Amino acid sequence: MEELVLELKNAIIEALNLEEVKPEDIDPDAPLFGDGLGLDSIDALELIVLMEKRYGIKLQDPAAGREIFRSLRTMADYIAAHRTK
Amino acid sequence: MLTIRRWVRITPTGAVIDGRPVHLEPTEDPLLVALYRQRVGSYPKFFKMDPLCRAGFIASELLIGEEPSRFTPRGDRAVVLFTHSGSFASDSHYERTICDRAEYYPSPAVFVYTLANILTGEIAIRNRYFGETSCYLLDRRETSVLAATTREAFLDEETHSVLCGWVDSPDPDCFEAVLFLVEESDEGPEWIDDNICKVMNDK
Amino acid sequence: MESALEHELIVREGDNIVSPLGLDTAATLRAVVAGESALRRYEGLWDLPEPFVASLLDFGAIDRALSARYGAERLAGYSEFERLSILSAACALDEAGIDPSSERVLFFLSTTKGNVALLETDNRYREEVLPDWSARRIASFFRNPNPAVVVSNACTSGLCAQIAAMRALWSGRCDRAVVIGADRQSRFIVSGFQSFKALSPEACRPFDRNRTGLNLGEAAATVIYARRRREEVTPQMWIACRGAIRNDANHISGPSRTGEGCYRALQAVLQGVDPGELAVVNVHGTATLYNDEMESIALDRAGLTGVPVNALKGYFGHTMGAAGVLESVLTMHALDEGLVLGTRGYAECGVSHPQSLTSRHVPTTRRAFVKMLSGFGGCNAALLFKRGGEIC
Repeated sequence: MEELVLELKNAIIEALNLEEVKPEDIDPDAPLFGDGLGLDSIDALELIVLMEKRYGIKLQDPAAGREIFRSLRTMADYIAAHRTK
Repeated sequence: MLTIRRWVRITPTGAVIDGRPVHLEPTEDPLLVALYRQRVGSYPKFFKMDPLCRAGFIASELLIGEEPSRFTPRGDRAVVLFTHSGSFASDSHYERTICDRAEYYPSPAVFVYTLANILTGEIAIRNRYFGETSCYLLDRRETSVLAATTREAFLDEETHSVLCGWVDSPDPDCFEAVLFLVEESDEGPEWIDDNICKVMNDK
Repeated sequence: MESALEHELIVREGDNIVSPLGLDTAATLRAVVAGESALRRYEGLWDLPEPFVASLLDFGAIDRALSARYGAERLAGYSEFERLSILSAACALDEAGIDPSSERVLFFLSTTKGNVALLETDNRYREEVLPDWSARRIASFFRNPNPAVVVSNACTSGLCAQIAAMRALWSGRCDRAVVIGADRQSRFIVSGFQSFKALSPEACRPFDRNRTGLNLGEAAATVIYARRRREEVTPQMWIACRGAIRNDANHISGPSRTGEGCYRALQAVLQGVDPGELAVVNVHGTATLYNDEMESIALDRAGLTGVPVNALKGYFGHTMGAAGVLESVLTMHALDEGLVLGTRGYAECGVSHPQSLTSRHVPTTRRAFVKMLSGFGGCNAALLFKRGGEIC
C-alpha cells in the first residue's frame, strides 16, 4: 500500500501540474481538497481521468469522487480495491 | 487624453518594460518560467496555464506588478486582449488526448484552455478585476483595430483603465506578448496608432 | 462620443437564424412556438464512446439553400462552419438591403471553436483552423474590405460581439455592423463537455429541480445593426440599448457562488430602467446545476425577482458562439408576436432564488428585454433591448 501511495503522489503531481510540490510535501491523511494543495473543481475532474487512465476505474458520478478523493489514503484504498489495471 | 501609462513586451529573447530590458539571473529555466520564479512567485496556478495564458499572465505581472494596492478588488479596469493563434496550442494538445480510439482520455484541464478568453480570465482572477474582460482574434496584427477597440472599451461608463494588447503563442517555444496599460492622463505617449506601432514593432 | 450615445441609437436592420428547427428566423420561431425541440439522442456518432443528446443541423439542407442562392462552385473550398455562417449572413443582408462590400460595414464573428473539427484529420498548425481565418473568409465572400474581428469570449461571445458592434457604431468607425454567431458541434467539443461531466443524458431542463446538465447545439444567427438619430426611430424598430461585460474574478470554469460578474453586468445595463417595463429576462439557462443557481442569485441581487424569466436551450440546446445572437433575435421576434416564450423542460423550481418561469408561452404587451450569458473564463454579459425609441 505504501508503494501505491507514493506512486499516486507522483501521478497526482504530474497530472495536476503541481510543479513546486514534492511527494514528501503531501500528507497522505490530509484532505486533498481545501487549503493544502490548492486543488479545484477541474483538478477533481482530472483525478477522475487519472483513475480511468492509470487504473481502469470509471467514475460516472462526479459526486462519488468526494468520498474517494477525501485524502490520498482514501484514494489509494479505493484504487487497491477496484483497479482493473 | 488616453495615454500609455506603461507597457511590456516579451518575446523568446527577453522582456522589456517601458523600453528597459528586464534583468534575470542566469538559469536553466525557459524564459517565462524564469520570469515567473524571479519576478512573480507564489502563484502555483501559473504551472497549470497553457502557453497562451503563461505569456499573457507573465506580461500582465510585469505590467502591473508594482502597482500600489494591487489586489484590492476593482471594477474599473477592463482586460482587452487580442490574439491570432488564440488557443491553438491547447486545441492541438486536447486533440491528442482524444484522437486515439484506444487511448481516449479527454482531459478537462486541457479542454478548458481551448477557449482563448481564459487568458483574460486568468488576469482578472489573479488581480480581482470585476470589470470587463474581452478577447478578440485577428487574422493579422491590425494595430488600428486594437487601438480603436481599446478606445471604445472606455464607452463603458465603469471602465477607467484598460489593460490591453497582443498575446500570441501557437506553441510553447514561440510566443509574443505586448501589453499596455491605457488610461486617461496627461502623462505618457498618447494612445494612437503611431505610438502603439513603435512599441509593437520595436525589435 | 458622448453626444453619439445620447442622440443616436443602435437599431436592428436585419437578422437571421439558421437552426435545426428551421433555415430562417420565421421557421425557427414557428417551431419553437409549436413547442418543438431539435434535441435528439446520438449513439456512436463521431465515434464517441458515450451517447449524448444534442441539436444538430442537416448540412444537406444548408448546402441546397446555398447552392440555390450562389451555385455550388462559389462555395467550394469553404468549410461547413464557414458555409453555415455565410448562409445566415446572406439572409440577414437580404433583409437589411445593405451593400456588404462597403468600407463602412464591419463584420464581427462570434464563435467559440470555428473550424476546430479540422484538427481531426490533421492536427498541425495552419491558418485555416483558426477562427480569424474563417472570419476573413466569410467577410471576403461578401467582398468586405475591412479586417473581420472574431469575438472569442466563450459562451458569452454572442452578446460581446453585439456590444463590440454597438461601440464601433457609436464611435463612428462604421455605419453598419454585421454580427454573425455560429458554431458547429464535433467530437472535439462533445468529448470536452463530457469530460466536464456537464452534459445531460436527456433533453435539458433549465432552472428545474431535476436538471442534470446541458445539451450542445449547432446553429448560426446574424443580426445587422445601424446607427440612427433618435427622431428617425419608429415604434417597430428594435434597439440595442446598453450592454455590459463583467468578470467573476473567481475561477476559470466554475461560476461564481455569488453571481458577482453576472450581477454586475445586470446592474450596469439596468441603470434607470424600471423592471416593470421588462417583458422578460432571457437567461443563459444552460441547465447545469451551477449555472442556473448562479443566475438565480444574480437576478435576485439585481432586483429582478418577479420579472418573467425564460431560457431557450430546451428547443435547440446550447449553441455556444451562436447563442447570444440567436436567443436575442428569437426573443425580439417572439415579442413582436406578443409572446414570452416558455422554458421547454421546466416543471418545478430548482434554484435557491425562485424566478417567474413557466414552460408555457405567455402573452405580453411589454417591449423591452434583457439577454444574459455567462461562460468559462468567468465572463458574464448582459444586453438591454427595446422596441421603439423612448427609453434607452
